[in-house]
Amino acid sequence: MSDDVLTRIDAAPRRHGRRRPAVAVLVDVVLVVFGVLMLSPLVWLIVQSFTEPEFAFADPPSWLPIPFTAQNFVDVFEYMPFFQQFGNSLLLAVISTGGSLLFSVLAAYAFARIDFRGSRILLVVMLSALMVPAQLVIIPIFIMMRQLGLIDTLTALWLPALINVFQIFFLSQYFRTIPRELDEAARIDGAGHFWILFRMLIPLSGPAIAALAILGFEASWNGYFGPLIFLSSPENMTLPLGLVTLQNGFGAAPAVVVFAAITMVVVPLLVAFLAFQRQIVESVASTGLKG
Amino acid sequence: MSDNASVRRPGALLQRRRTEAAGWLFVSPAVLLFLIFVAGPFVFAIVLAFLKWDLLTSPEFAGLANFERLFTDPLLPRVLLNTFVFAFASIVTHLVFGLLLALAVNQVVSRVLGYFARVAIFFPFLISWAAVALLWKYVLDPTFGYVSQYAAMIGIDLPNFFTDPAWAMPAIIFIDLWHTLGFTFIIMLAGLQTVPAELIEAARTDGATSGQIFWNVTLPLMSPTMFFATIITFIGAFQIFDPIQIITKGGPQDATTTIIMYLYEKGFQAFDMGYAAAVAILVFVIIMGVTILQFVGRRKWVYES
Repeated sequence: MSDDVLTRIDAAPRRHGRRRPAVAVLVDVVLVVFGVLMLSPLVWLIVQSFTEPEFAFADPPSWLPIPFTAQNFVDVFEYMPFFQQFGNSLLLAVISTGGSLLFSVLAAYAFARIDFRGSRILLVVMLSALMVPAQLVIIPIFIMMRQLGLIDTLTALWLPALINVFQIFFLSQYFRTIPRELDEAARIDGAGHFWILFRMLIPLSGPAIAALAILGFEASWNGYFGPLIFLSSPENMTLPLGLVTLQNGFGAAPAVVVFAAITMVVVPLLVAFLAFQRQIVESVASTGLKG
Repeated sequence: MSDNASVRRPGALLQRRRTEAAGWLFVSPAVLLFLIFVAGPFVFAIVLAFLKWDLLTSPEFAGLANFERLFTDPLLPRVLLNTFVFAFASIVTHLVFGLLLALAVNQVVSRVLGYFARVAIFFPFLISWAAVALLWKYVLDPTFGYVSQYAAMIGIDLPNFFTDPAWAMPAIIFIDLWHTLGFTFIIMLAGLQTVPAELIEAARTDGATSGQIFWNVTLPLMSPTMFFATIITFIGAFQIFDPIQIITKGGPQDATTTIIMYLYEKGFQAFDMGYAAAVAILVFVIIMGVTILQFVGRRKWVYES
């Protein structure tokens, strides 16, 4: 799929001046209603988390935080090490995404630009791994990490995430679209492989790398299966696992506190999404990857 | 060819060697990681399926016992049925709603409405399953959730979705739709942009109705996108795990135990590693088989220009 999907989404034909048929207006109304219904659980979430515990989850439902309180958010910190877990999630996402992108960029450069023996077979073998479900390899990786004493550490999660075959494939395809004459010209001027890759190809691949970075970060930030099997102590957990533990561990937190914690995860995400909407939507549309 | 040339010119031979070395140097970190964390574990998983190992005592060779269990396990047919029901429902609901919403948003003139609709439909996809599952556990709760509260006001008595064996799976399907619809929607919207506007204008000029244009122009041109969405949705849906582990733990009465949930129980709760590996291999074979079947069936319904 081409990389200007969103530009064209935004530039969808606007038929100004022509009277729109009644059906089109009806479709608009349906979209408004649908959008409101889609967002209603999130509005309800935020409202309850700002409501005093004995008035939250009222019947009939309340859509305003009355009586208002911020105490639920203060209480979150009594039940979970929120900032510690936020830091863990951030560290994991940055190392996994940054590390895998670095190795992917190097490998993609070799596959796209250096004619070395065996490169085709190597790429095919690596690509065939895309069909292998993550759960198949995670069993041996679990046993491996157990032998290495890395259970309940973030290392067990970011180490296997350093290899990302899809990134290698996507980047090598992208590099191939950049004219090779540019390499030749740079080489005549005395540039080596590293210069060509880091000073020329990477700057020219901004949208592709941004898309992969966003998706990689999102997958790591939201991941649940890996943290669930590897992490056990609250101070080592990532946010998704911390949230789930909050409501079913020993001394489970009250519902309003769970809601406050979810709000603390969702609202910054919403802000980030509104700020980078174009890039985020673009990355999903251009790579077609599910988180 | 290049080999012949290098024999003739010694400088070229050196150049050739340097190119070989550079190529392998650049791929070596990725290849090393691939061997340790993908290829190695893949082979190890196959070996594991022939072993009986609880990680506490030493492993024993089990022959084909784990694979035989796949056929005799009384729970597995139910688990596979649950998984296929979920995957099928997921594909149908995502594709139908994703396409309809993309068509709807595509005809919107107001910039504000377009922005609002895209944000509302897409944003849930970015939230972690953990947060989504916890939230919806309350939204659909019979006493605390507003869905049941509003339903009761108009005289509808909704069931307790997550404890009723008949309703637990539909509820999970619904929550999954809310969460991942945005993905399908964006893919469909991107696909719609590839349908040439001139073609639609031409059909309209020739007097085609909106319905005719949809069925004869838009839909055929969208079929490659829908094919892609079907494959991706199937692969994702077949591996559904997070909301089930968080909300129902496979219950009530195994009504929501899907194959990955089952694998998790066997491997990481019962530490029945050999059998878990056999189940994982079954997942691999099914996903590969269905994907191949879809590519074979592709000719029947996907339009290629």
